[in-house]
Amino acid sequence: MYKKKKSGVIGIVVTVIILILLVILSNIKIENLTVVENVFSTIVMPFQNGFTMLKNKISGNDTFFTDLDNLKNENEELKQKNSELEQSLRELEIIKAENTTLKEQMNLKEKYGEYNTVSGYVINRDISNYTGMVVINVGSDDGVQPNMTVIADKGLVGNVVSVTANTAKVQTIVDPASSVSCIISTSKDAFITKGSINGSGREIRATYIPTDAVLVQDTSVETSGLGGIYPKGIHVGTIKEVVNTKNPTDKYATIETAVDFSKLDTVLVILN
Amino acid sequence: MKKAVCILLMFLAFLIIYFLQVNFFTWFNIAGVMPNLFVVLILVIGLFAGKNTGISTGIVAGLLIDIFISKKIGVTAITLGLVGFIGALLDKNFSKDSRITLILMVIILTVLYEILNYAINAIIFSYSLELIDFFIKLAIETLFNILITIIFYPLIQKCGYALEENFKETKILTRYF
Repeated sequence: MYKKKKSGVIGIVVTVIILILLVILSNIKIENLTVVENVFSTIVMPFQNGFTMLKNKISGNDTFFTDLDNLKNENEELKQKNSELEQSLRELEIIKAENTTLKEQMNLKEKYGEYNTVSGYVINRDISNYTGMVVINVGSDDGVQPNMTVIADKGLVGNVVSVTANTAKVQTIVDPASSVSCIISTSKDAFITKGSINGSGREIRATYIPTDAVLVQDTSVETSGLGGIYPKGIHVGTIKEVVNTKNPTDKYATIETAVDFSKLDTVLVILN
Repeated sequence: MKKAVCILLMFLAFLIIYFLQVNFFTWFNIAGVMPNLFVVLILVIGLFAGKNTGISTGIVAGLLIDIFISKKIGVTAITLGLVGFIGALLDKNFSKDSRITLILMVIILTVLYEILNYAINAIIFSYSLELIDFFIKLAIETLFNILITIIFYPLIQKCGYALEENFKETKILTRYF
């Protein structure tokens, strides 16, 4: 009985470790492998310091360590100063974050000055892995109505699908049910982009591409103004990959959205 | 009185899971895929508290999710109601005392729930189907649900038996006489 209970606990601990490892490994970026470097340096550093001290002693470079009392006092003072600085740094960070949010809102208003807009925050995100909805904190009391366009600092977010007095549900352009009529900024070739469940939640698919259209990687894509929901000229994203098929009418392209929906915070709803 | 406390606790569990799904799992995820703890919650309720409680809790929880975030009201309510119903059916045929059986139930119901949800939404909103991507995400989600079920198995068992005591009537098993 005791053995069974013990093995159960071990099983749970092992599962927790596996889960945490899976989460970390699946989200880690290769360029962030400095962590491994840090671990190695933590192990190696004491030995390295020891050897350096020994080398200094032998070569007579140890005068730095003679005045230990002074060094201790200095160290205490520095520690005190350090904690004070850390405190002010924390305060500064709070002010900085506040400032960034306000600036973002102001920039957004200036950038889209031609439109009559109302700004809001994302207060709720989708719980499903297969859809892309967000809820914002502005509703019919602020003049928001269904089918209004929602934008962010970097570009198009989506459109309002339903409203309450103080909130609105927004269908983002990555939602599989979403379709946006777009054009390539340079060549003005038109196509339809559809939301997709693949990728990191920042990919949409360009379909119904004219057979003679030339799609080049990293070209900017914007709204065409057709369809009655989205105004013309709002940045959508950039072409990431063009997939040519046997049948030229089936050709499609993957577009990386300008907006990172996992970090979406401040939005503007276009009222007119 | 005890039943009222149980219902209150179920609602509290729903709120905690909702909070976790909306906030915690948006960053604690496997390759951008979150688990679906609502399926586990409704399965456990259906399994331990019986058919009626399972279905009604599934429908109410689904309706709340639909009201909070979905585009169409009713899809999640129907599918979660079905999860509660199947949970109760599984109780009749399988033993819920085994960890492996519970894990298998979680696998079956996670897959069934997501396929049904995706199919209904695809029909309503005319999705262009991306089956390969869908099944990759579904596999990761199911794995995540399994890991969470293994971790919380002792708690699930404890809460489950407390539910069973309050919601299921004591039946005389005539075959033993």
